[in-house]
Amino acid sequence: MASRSEFSAQTLSVLAALSDQPSQWQHGYALAKQTGLKSGTLYPILIRLADRGLVEACWQDEPAPGRPRRHLYRLTAAGLASATGALANAAERAAEQVAEQAAGRAGKPRPGAGKPRAGLRPGPAAPGAVAGMTP
Amino acid sequence: MNRLNRMMAAAGRGAAWLLPAGRRDWAAALWAEAHEVPPGVERLAWRAGGIWMLGREALLPRRIGRAVLFAVAAAAAAWVAWPDSSVLHAAADQFGVIATVLLLAGMPLLARRFFGPVGDNRTARFLRVGGYAAILALIPAQAVVGPYPLNVPRQAPDLRVFVADGNSIHGMPGTSAGGPPWPGEIFFLILTACYVVTIFWLTSRRASATPATLAAGTGAGIVFGLVMYVVAPLGLTQYASNPWLPGSRVDPFVALAWILLFGGPAAASVLAARWYCRTPGGSVKLAQARAGQGIVAGVLANLVGALFVTVLGTGTAALTIEVARLRPLVFHAPHASGAAAYGHVLHASQHIQTYIIMCVIFPVIGLMMSGMAMACFMPVPRQSGPQPDGGGGPPGPGPEPPPPGGRRADAGDRVPVLS
Repeated sequence: MASRSEFSAQTLSVLAALSDQPSQWQHGYALAKQTGLKSGTLYPILIRLADRGLVEACWQDEPAPGRPRRHLYRLTAAGLASATGALANAAERAAEQVAEQAAGRAGKPRPGAGKPRAGLRPGPAAPGAVAGMTP
Repeated sequence: MNRLNRMMAAAGRGAAWLLPAGRRDWAAALWAEAHEVPPGVERLAWRAGGIWMLGREALLPRRIGRAVLFAVAAAAAAWVAWPDSSVLHAAADQFGVIATVLLLAGMPLLARRFFGPVGDNRTARFLRVGGYAAILALIPAQAVVGPYPLNVPRQAPDLRVFVADGNSIHGMPGTSAGGPPWPGEIFFLILTACYVVTIFWLTSRRASATPATLAAGTGAGIVFGLVMYVVAPLGLTQYASNPWLPGSRVDPFVALAWILLFGGPAAASVLAARWYCRTPGGSVKLAQARAGQGIVAGVLANLVGALFVTVLGTGTAALTIEVARLRPLVFHAPHASGAAAYGHVLHASQHIQTYIIMCVIFPVIGLMMSGMAMACFMPVPRQSGPQPDGGGGPPGPGPEPPPPGGRRADAGDRVPVLS
């Protein structure tokens, strides 16, 4: 049985966005645009990551005139390590799946194996099986 | 639009106080960020997301919500099922209620420890919640139906039916003729534990059953359970169940029930195996994984079917005992005498144990049928490698032709060795 990531695809996309520029503080709206997540999905993810010590948050020191102070986010050292590992794992899994599906489509017989049986051909790729898993 | 936006902002700021103190910063952050979002629909959507987040964070510290929901449901079930201390076997019944509730309360913790968290899909969560709801519903239904055949009726016509039905009287009219049913309670508890453990295992992340597999098994099980309920709404006793669908009208359902009993798990397992296509590691691993998914779907089909018909059937029998007005409707006998209605109810409550037999046998049949289906339709190919008879497959490539102007090396040639 294949091992699963400890993060969901959405969380991985947030980690990927934050790890693009790990030293830079980022705003919630920018993260939402980068990841394509709605605010109602993005903020709970940020909260969980902050609870686990993977993301640090702070308030902006000098807000733009007439605007409220914004909340800023970036990965902690532990978060960066965790994100790097998780994204690498996800990419590896996605590559394995692509290779497996490509092998299945080609129907190439393996050395020593008999004629491929109809019932054993892998079916079409599950939608979204790969999407969102690559950093 | 602006007005709506302002209203939503005000609602959000007010609702932020519902959050725990440590979370309010996040709500404020989300509202502050709304000023950066382009005005109009996009900003409205951003704020709507904020309201959604507030709802989730304030109302759904999910574990707490689920625990409270379970506690309320379990307390209600136990309260309804709690036996009167005047009943002869009150101690055994009380033990049954307490042990079942404790089992249900403790199983999530044990399952998390041994099976890992629940699968990351709605079907798995639906199955767990559905399984718990079914077992909680069974507690009061069993408590009503179980003692009924042992209660000696007071009225003379009912008493005659009671004796004619093969019950010897060891008690006075109006009392219970039964002894303490400890073995029955313990058996029922073990069976419940087996069901809960199986459901938790199949829906755990470690079992890796896909949502499609769980859906195939659950769907087949619900259809099977419904058909079984149509055939035998009050257990497999014709006297109690036949009036429900008299004569030949029931025959197609009986045939369908037999087909679904054996064919349902086989069909669910083949479907689940065909839908599965996500295991890296070659055709042997893929075929093994598909067989695993198929067997899970097959077992689940009959397990869900048995549980479904047991809950519906036992619930119906309990309702006919508790609600007198239902009896003419359920037994299709609007003009039947009280004694005849009592006879039907007595029969139903006596034969309700057939559901327990179904609960034991059906999943075993599901396992066998899915195993056979997998062996017939989804055989696992042999491991590649040398085989005694040369194996199948295309012949291997012949020897490389010698390079132009060269020759094959033979044993006499000296080969330079790197040291």
